[in-house]
Amino acid sequence: MKKVLALVFVLVLGALIMNHLNDNNLFAGFGDAMLENRVSQSYIDRDATENNDGVVFDESLDLESGAANTVTAIVADYRSFDTLGEVTVLFISSFGVALLLGQSKKRIALEFKPNFMLKIGSRALFAVILMTGVFVSIHGHLTPGGGFPGGAMIASSMLLLYLADDEFRAKMRGFKILESVMGVFYIILGLAGLMITGFFLENFLDNGALGTLFSAGMIPIVYIIIGLKVGSEISSVIDHFLSEEGA
Amino acid sequence: MLQIAGLLLMMLGLYGLLTNRNVIKIILALNILEIGLNIFIISIGFVRGGEAPIFSSETTSNALVYVDPLPQALVLTAIVIGVGTTALGLAFAKQIYAKYHTFELDEMGEE
Amino acid sequence: MNIALFVAIPLGFAFISILHKKLAPILLIAASLFIIVGLSFVQNGETVIGGFEAPYGIHLLMDSYRLTALYIVNILFLSVVLLNIRKYHQMSTVLLISLTGLNGLIMTGDLFNLFVFLEISGISAYLITSTNKNPLASFQYLVAGTVGSSLYLFGLILLYAMFGSLNLADLSMQVSQLTDKTPVLLPFLLMFLGLGVEVKLLPLNSWVKGILKDANTLSGPMIASVYAAAMSLVFGRILIDLFVFEGRFIVIVSTILLVSILAGEAMAYQSKNVKEILLYSSVAQAGLVVLLFVSGLASWALFMVMANAISKMILFTIIASASEENGDDITVLQGIFTNNKLIGFSFTIASLSVIGLPLFMGFVVKMNALNHLFGEQMFLAIIAILLASVVEGIYFVRLLLHLWTPSETTVTFDIRMKAVLFALAVMLIVFGITVEPIESLKDTIEIGLNVGGTSWRI
Repeated sequence: MKKVLALVFVLVLGALIMNHLNDNNLFAGFGDAMLENRVSQSYIDRDATENNDGVVFDESLDLESGAANTVTAIVADYRSFDTLGEVTVLFISSFGVALLLGQSKKRIALEFKPNFMLKIGSRALFAVILMTGVFVSIHGHLTPGGGFPGGAMIASSMLLLYLADDEFRAKMRGFKILESVMGVFYIILGLAGLMITGFFLENFLDNGALGTLFSAGMIPIVYIIIGLKVGSEISSVIDHFLSEEGA
Repeated sequence: MLQIAGLLLMMLGLYGLLTNRNVIKIILALNILEIGLNIFIISIGFVRGGEAPIFSSETTSNALVYVDPLPQALVLTAIVIGVGTTALGLAFAKQIYAKYHTFELDEMGEE
Repeated sequence: MNIALFVAIPLGFAFISILHKKLAPILLIAASLFIIVGLSFVQNGETVIGGFEAPYGIHLLMDSYRLTALYIVNILFLSVVLLNIRKYHQMSTVLLISLTGLNGLIMTGDLFNLFVFLEISGISAYLITSTNKNPLASFQYLVAGTVGSSLYLFGLILLYAMFGSLNLADLSMQVSQLTDKTPVLLPFLLMFLGLGVEVKLLPLNSWVKGILKDANTLSGPMIASVYAAAMSLVFGRILIDLFVFEGRFIVIVSTILLVSILAGEAMAYQSKNVKEILLYSSVAQAGLVVLLFVSGLASWALFMVMANAISKMILFTIIASASEENGDDITVLQGIFTNNKLIGFSFTIASLSVIGLPLFMGFVVKMNALNHLFGEQMFLAIIAILLASVVEGIYFVRLLLHLWTPSETTVTFDIRMKAVLFALAVMLIVFGITVEPIESLKDTIEIGLNVGGTSWRI
């Protein structure tokens, strides 16, 4: 009975929302979004604060935001404050998991005995995945990806070691220091912007030519910081979930 | 179409939240709700015929038509926040299990 | 003084604090003091972050409303921290993050940024309640909070799809220029419900009970006073700056609020459990505050939040501390004030102020609010407030009689707690007798409220 009621409620709610959106002349249908009416057009044209003669790949020099990937330009430059908050959310979640699950002594044992090949193979794969993670972090301003996916890849390489080797235990202390230092770096970078240009988190480095590896000023630095920080945070979450109390 | 899919997933998640009495399933329902919302957010930025908002050797100039990059950036943030809350929810679930030895909300009343 | 530091400093300290356990509480107190001292050096206006002007970048706003809100939240936060830091020192990092979140929440001028800070302060709140040792209640809080913020995010993304901006001032200008307001009905309703979960409005508040009935001296005052104050002030800010109340929307909203107020008072009246009484009463109070915001009495709503936050801080700290050993049944706690006159005095003043008796801050606020409502001919709201006050009067006086009746119970209170709570109680009396500070503050706020974009009748 309760399920039927819930189903009816959900269906009615969905239909109402759908109906409201269809009747709404301000709400553009799927695929008909008008970017000219949104702030996003300025993110693509890079003319939120200054005029330029159009953006051209590999040629435009020192735009207001120099990342070829516009999404990255928004995440790590235009709305960098959100990203600082996002990093904070992940930081506090990983700290919270550690707080709730306690400093457990022993890791949960695997149900099988890993053989020699598995151990060696996973080590080799570990290096490849780790390097991919770092690569994705560093190229965040040029290609899809960035610090968060890169960090998740770094953490997944740690997960691989956890799954393939029953004696593996990451050095949590090292991750904690890495996490803390990277967080402080991010804040210091923001404060440096405040000192040099007068705005917190302002990009104070040269933006370079659009689309080259050494471009976009602070963005690659921020993404390396985020990549390492996210990687260490998710690894610590993995470690805490794979451990059990006492015993 | 994508908007309807996102909305459907959200409603599915909501239905799951209303009917499920199992801690793990509640977390799953919450995630479905969030994924539905993320798909919906992405969908409002789509422009028919638009390119992915990355300048490259093929899409070299800002004169081309691009899809809206802002919803994508927002979704990136929303996903990470979702991961954070899910991790914390699972940690609470582990604590609940340690205390009551069950994940079913209905079996916890006795203690 | 760049107000971005109020977010950056506690956040930076939080990152450092995980390295050294002994250092963490010191960092927490240092950050909290830094903010309170720093607040006297701030200037009104916008602070752009990242060098991109609104609506392209994110900016923080400061005006007298936000300044008052920051003072209330930070001073109460510091008092809760000072009373609890020894016992709950392992929570220092969490508290630093929650300080970051609450300050950011109050200052931000961007709707999506507000969502991020909502999650930051939300997650730290879930962790603060984990000190209750009731993981199930914390889990339910987490689910409710996440659904609430998802609804809020859904609402704001619809606004973005319609108006192409996430900036509060920009959006409120565009919304106010609409001739037909039906398109914004749905997003506003979603955002109202989403934020309503955080502010403890009744149909959405199932989480409150589990959290507050096991509350200790840290989580009780933190959630019921500091978080409640911050969330209602932020909610109020958005109600004033962005929402337009007309037609169907105002009917739905007032129904939710009236149900919330009356049901809250009725449940408080029925309950035999001291924490439950306080909890349902605070649900009703939250409804009243939002009602004042919706009626356009922003400055009086601000003072009501302030009076309530101080009162709730006193009430919850005393009850949480007294019930640590014996539970909080009304008969067990009978007579705890016989040997603790000072604590009893503070508790009495706080509850009388909530009821709204003369001489206390609650009275000044309620009286003036009623006066204005009468002028605006909003009789439904007046009846709700008066009825709520009468019911509050009955159950609080009944509670006080119980707690003052002599008995064998001996509970001892920490001397520092006595001092802090007494100081807060004196504050309630001072604001209740001398009206000038409130009046002069009110004038600056009426001017300040126009900063956000639209003007609003006060």
